[in-house]
This record gives sequence, C-alpha cells and structure tokens, in this order.
Amino acid sequence: MLFLKECKKVARSLTFWIYCIILALMFFTNYYSDVRYGESRPSAYEQDYGTKVVEDPDLIMDGAINSLMGEFASNRYICYPFGFYKAVSLKDNDRNEVEKLIQELTGTDHEGISEFMDEAQVNYVEHALSTYPEYVFNTMIVDKNVSYERFKEIMGEIDDILGGGSLYAVDSLAFNFSRVPMTYEEALKEYEDSITADTMTGALSRLFCDYTGIDLALIPVFVAAAFTAADRRRRMTELVYSRKISSLRLTFTRYAALVTTMFIPVLITMIIAAVQASVVYSGEELKMHLMFTTPTFWLLPEIMVVTAVGMLVTEIFSAGVAVAVQGVWAFISLMSGSNELYGDITKFGLMCRHNTLYHRSAFMETYNDFVFNRIFYMILALVLVCAAAFIYNLKRGGRFNGIRLFGKGGILRRKA
Amino acid sequence: MVSGCLAKVVFSDAKHNFLIHYLAAVLLLLAAPIVFGFSGLDERMAAMPMEMISPVIGMILMTPVFMPEQNESIYDVVKSKKTSHTLVCFLRIILSAAITALLVSALALYMRSSDSQVTARLFVSTLGSALALGALGTFFAAVGDNAVIGYMVSVSYLVMDLFMRTKLKKFDLFTFTDGGTKVNPWLFAAAAVLVLAALIWRKYRK
Repeated sequence: MLFLKECKKVARSLTFWIYCIILALMFFTNYYSDVRYGESRPSAYEQDYGTKVVEDPDLIMDGAINSLMGEFASNRYICYPFGFYKAVSLKDNDRNEVEKLIQELTGTDHEGISEFMDEAQVNYVEHALSTYPEYVFNTMIVDKNVSYERFKEIMGEIDDILGGGSLYAVDSLAFNFSRVPMTYEEALKEYEDSITADTMTGALSRLFCDYTGIDLALIPVFVAAAFTAADRRRRMTELVYSRKISSLRLTFTRYAALVTTMFIPVLITMIIAAVQASVVYSGEELKMHLMFTTPTFWLLPEIMVVTAVGMLVTEIFSAGVAVAVQGVWAFISLMSGSNELYGDITKFGLMCRHNTLYHRSAFMETYNDFVFNRIFYMILALVLVCAAAFIYNLKRGGRFNGIRLFGKGGILRRKA
Repeated sequence: MVSGCLAKVVFSDAKHNFLIHYLAAVLLLLAAPIVFGFSGLDERMAAMPMEMISPVIGMILMTPVFMPEQNESIYDVVKSKKTSHTLVCFLRIILSAAITALLVSALALYMRSSDSQVTARLFVSTLGSALALGALGTFFAAVGDNAVIGYMVSVSYLVMDLFMRTKLKKFDLFTFTDGGTKVNPWLFAAAAVLVLAALIWRKYRK
C-alpha cells in the first residue's frame, strides 16, 4: 500500500529523526521539568499571592498619562515591537502630533505642557556612552471631559505613531498600568477555577500544547521540504512522473504520510505527559482523556498547515525557500503575541499561547476564536495541498518547471 | 597559477551558487532595525541584537557550502576533476566566515555610531557565536548531505538556546546577553572542530 510505503520513507529519513530528537529535547527541558512537582492549593498564611490584571480605567489613565509625559519629555519611548527592546525617538512632525494628543488628554495647550515639563523632576541617567535626562511625573491626570473610550482611541493613535509595541498599545494598557495585588480569596478562586473545573489534566494539557506548539510551528517544514525535494535529489522525478497514479492522489498520500508520521512522536510525548500527570497527581480525580483530545485538536492543525506550506513552496520554488518562508511566519507569530502569555489566541495566529496552568477563564474567553482558528488552519492546509497537487501536475505535464532563482533556468541567472 | 585557478573557482561559486545567501544575509541586516532598537544601549542591552542577529547571519552563510554538489550527478563530475574538492570547500568556508565577520562588523559599527556600547570583547564574542552556529549548520549539512538538514539543526539549536540559555553552559550563544563579560573561547573551538569534522566527513564519505 502506497500510504505505508510513504510512511516508511518518511520514518527512514534523517530529517524525521532530527525532528524526533528536537521534539523530545524541548519536551523534557520545558514542559516535563516545569510540571515535575504538583501544584498545591494556596495557603492562608502566605505573604504574597502575586498580582492580577484588572481593567480599572482610573488606574490605567493615571499610570499611562504620567508614563507618557515622562517619555514625551525625554523623547525616548520604550517599545517592544517584536518582543525585543527598542528605544524610539520621534522626529519633530510626529512629536508635534503626540503633543497635540497629550494636550487633548490633559486639557492644556502648548504653554501648559511646557510648564508641566519645567516643574517635572529630572534625573540624569548614564546609559551606554551618553547621559539622558529622565523626566518623572507622578501627579498628571487625564482631563475629566475625556472619556475612557476616547482615551483608548488616543492611546491607539500614539502607539501607531510609535510603530507599535509601545506601553500604550490598547491591548496592553491594563497589563502595563493596572496590576493589583491578589488576596488569598482571589488566589484560591483562581486555583479552583483553573484546576477544579476540568481537573488538573485540563490545565496540564493546555501548557503541554503551548510548549509543543512553538516547536511545531517550524520544524515540520524541514521534514516536509526535504521529503518533497527528495525525488529530484535522487534523480527519481521522471520515474515517478511516468507512473499511472494521479497527481492529486500521490500528493495527498504523501501529505497524509508526512502528517501521520510526524504526529506519532507528538502522540508519544502526550502519553509520557499523561503518565507523568497520573503519577504526580495520584489520588486526585483526573480527566485523562483531556491529555489526548486537547493536544490533538490544538496541535494537529499546526502540523497540517506547516507541512502543507513546506510541500507547496518546495514544489514552486525549493526546499530552502520553504524553510525561509515558514521561518519568517513562525518568528512573526511567536514574537508578535501580547505581553501576557496566557489566553493569547486570535482567529488567525499560527500559534495559540497559554503558558500557564492557571487563568482558565482567559482561555475560555477566547475559546470561540480558538475553535475557529484550528478549523481554519485545517481547511487552509487542505487547500494548500490541493494547490501543491495542481503544481505537481503542471510539472509532471511539462507545463511548469518550478521557479528557480539561480542555476539552470534561474530567473536571476546572468545570460551569457 | 594553481591559486589563481582556485580563486576563479571560488569567485564563480560565489557568483552562481551563493549570491542569494549573501543577499539574504544583507537583507536580514537591513531589516534588523524594524525589530531591534540600536541606539543608546549599554553593553548588555547591545548584546541582545548583536547575539541574536549575528548567529543567524553565520548560519545563512556557512550552512550551504556543500550545496552545489548536493545533486549526485554534479558531485560525480566534481570528484573526477583534478582540483581538490575538499580544498574548494575549505575556501568556500573561509569566504563565508569572512563575509560573516564583515557583516557582523558592519552591524557593530552601525550600533556604535548610534551611541551604543559595542565593546571589542562583545564583538569578538558575537563573532564566536556566529561562527559556531554557522559551523554547526556546515557539519550537519555535510553529514546529512543536505543543506536543509544543516539549517534544521542550527535553527533548532538557536531556538533551544533561547529557552535554555545558561543551561547550555559553554555552548550558550548568548554569552553577554546572559550576563557574561568575557569572550567565550569554547565557541571558536567548537566552530573549528565542526568545520574540520565536516571537511573530513566529506573527504572520506563513500
């Protein structure tokens, strides 16, 4: 049977074994070591129960306006556009735009802003090769005529001027300016909401998917690209082209073999995670099926779409381009997530992030997006494989030879 | 005469086989300011963009050195020639390492001109990270006879290092970002050993 033959070919490839080793290494060094010890119920005698993010308009507006005034006065805004530190200094035009927005927020004019800056406390901070003035504001308040909705609109505009990823990004306002200490009762409720509702395995399965999802956003593309390019490397292309089988059937059989074979190591890590959960939480009620159903629905679409991208781009261009395309997509998806690593799920994001055993409510708030996202990527994967079959058929019929940048027939090759 | 011939081979190689990799590395360097901030950083903050971008440049440039002969027909032809294939590969590696050093220097100079504290020790340490990751890609591309395998291992090592950091001890690519203040000679040693092993493997493989 062709499917089993293709599965064996995948399983015998070096890229697949490297895939298994990477998956195992990441599993044991991240997830497995993180959940080695059981989570315990919060005690009434602890001094610190951590903080929680609340959307308190007064706290957010006070914190944001003072921070914004400080950064505006120094003309040095701290941003994390792709998760990395970036200090942004604005040119005059943009600075004037920000000043106008601050004037609206504070209900003052240019002279008023200048006065505020003159009265501010200034610390000179030695940083790298220079010394920067750091303005500290504590008493600024937002004008009463500015509603919270308008305030958020203005923050959004300022974030756009700064190029995104600033402290004033609307989605991050509560996270940056409205954190309050948790009480014992709140910590206990958080524990019970997260752990009791779908037992500990629900929380563990979400954390497992978060870690494994990071690997699966990239490494399947290597296996898929190398497998798709193997015919050409082994000089088997013409031989395969001459076979009776249809291009659609051949492409789908190979795709199914790739996805099935690459899912097996994931399944093995699921089994290890389930055994670990039953040992660590022995004696507690656990819904063991969650250790399999959640990861399958969460991770399988990711393997499917990344494999499909690898096959399609390799058919059109080459294995190297497929790796580059998927590498960029995975990097952007990983780094453009929100500050909070939990409940970070959007309709079209490749990775769904929930890097905690807690905050089940944040996950449930985005549950509809999560379901939509996974079904969307499953369908997209099938569409991409159909496109790969179409391209394969064109190549088979001699109507298309793939796009090459260099080498024989390359579009960038210099003609003699 | 022989050296002139070798220079021609390497130049021709660079033009026909590796130009796209050079372009990709330059593109990465030009796109870096979109992601990272380069101005007014102290040594540790400056280490983050330096130690993040440079290894990727090393990986892009050094991994594909055996790629032109990945096709078995071409390899058979190359083996039949008088010029030593191992020597040609060695020169390609030297050229890739030199271009890596050039691009890392350009990044360091740009950051220095932007008022960042890129010290000599940070620069040398970063170069070690770039060469080590590039050499890792070179080695696995040689063993797997496929540049994709080289990229797979080196990208995975970089991602793993992002999570494990100092747990990788002497082979942590982010020496200064993780608080180190000395050049890590182990990375240079690893790069040399991996390149040598790759060349030996290529020479004596069946």
